[in-house]
Amino acid sequence: MGNKICWIVILLTLAINVMLLQWTINAYLGHEFERVFLYSLLACGSASVTLITVLIWRKKEYQ
Amino acid sequence: MKDKRNKPYTESDMVNLVNNVNRQEDLRYNRRSFLKAAAGTSIALGLSTLPFSVKAMVDTFEDEENRQEITKLADLPKGSSIEFHYPTEEESALLVHTKAGELKAYNNACTHLMCPVFYEEKDEVLLCPCHKGYFDLNNGHPIAGPPQRELPMIEVEVKNGTVYAVDRKYRHG
Repeated sequence: MGNKICWIVILLTLAINVMLLQWTINAYLGHEFERVFLYSLLACGSASVTLITVLIWRKKEYQ
Repeated sequence: MKDKRNKPYTESDMVNLVNNVNRQEDLRYNRRSFLKAAAGTSIALGLSTLPFSVKAMVDTFEDEENRQEITKLADLPKGSSIEFHYPTEEESALLVHTKAGELKAYNNACTHLMCPVFYEEKDEVLLCPCHKGYFDLNNGHPIAGPPQRELPMIEVEVKNGTVYAVDRKYRHG
């Protein structure tokens, strides 16, 4: 995974997490709890992808 | 004397090339630190959805039927409204007897910033005066202004000339 791809993935997951947080809050206020769980799960998955990408990027950048 | 001390000994641009370079800032603010900050923000935003899931699992929201008497139908003429509380005393609601003879009830906390919503008889609309938010009387959905979500709808039932609130739906229509 090249450095450029790491950049793209991290910025993409940032945008995705912003949206997921808004949707989660909206779903919670609307008492749609299945959606709260779904969006929360997706957000955690996206955060994990970000973390893994950062570790890969760090390994490439500082070698 | 002071001026002479603080002035560079030459005005030559070639010698003063490095005057705009701040080493401390270059070490602190660069592309690597930007990417790390972006990644940290992304992870923080992702994890901040977790408290909502936990709260949704832990809180017991009302799912059993909660029947409450509101008023006698004869006391509520067409084109008028009455305030009541449903399902708890803290949650204010509005029952409207429309000009067409229908009964519509909603929790009247505006979904924008919780200001009270009133019934406008002239235009048959629900109005939030704080930021001029308008809700459709028939379904509680926002039709103008800043609110984005519909008002929670309270299901009503008329029995023996008395109006009862029986249930509430947050998302509807």
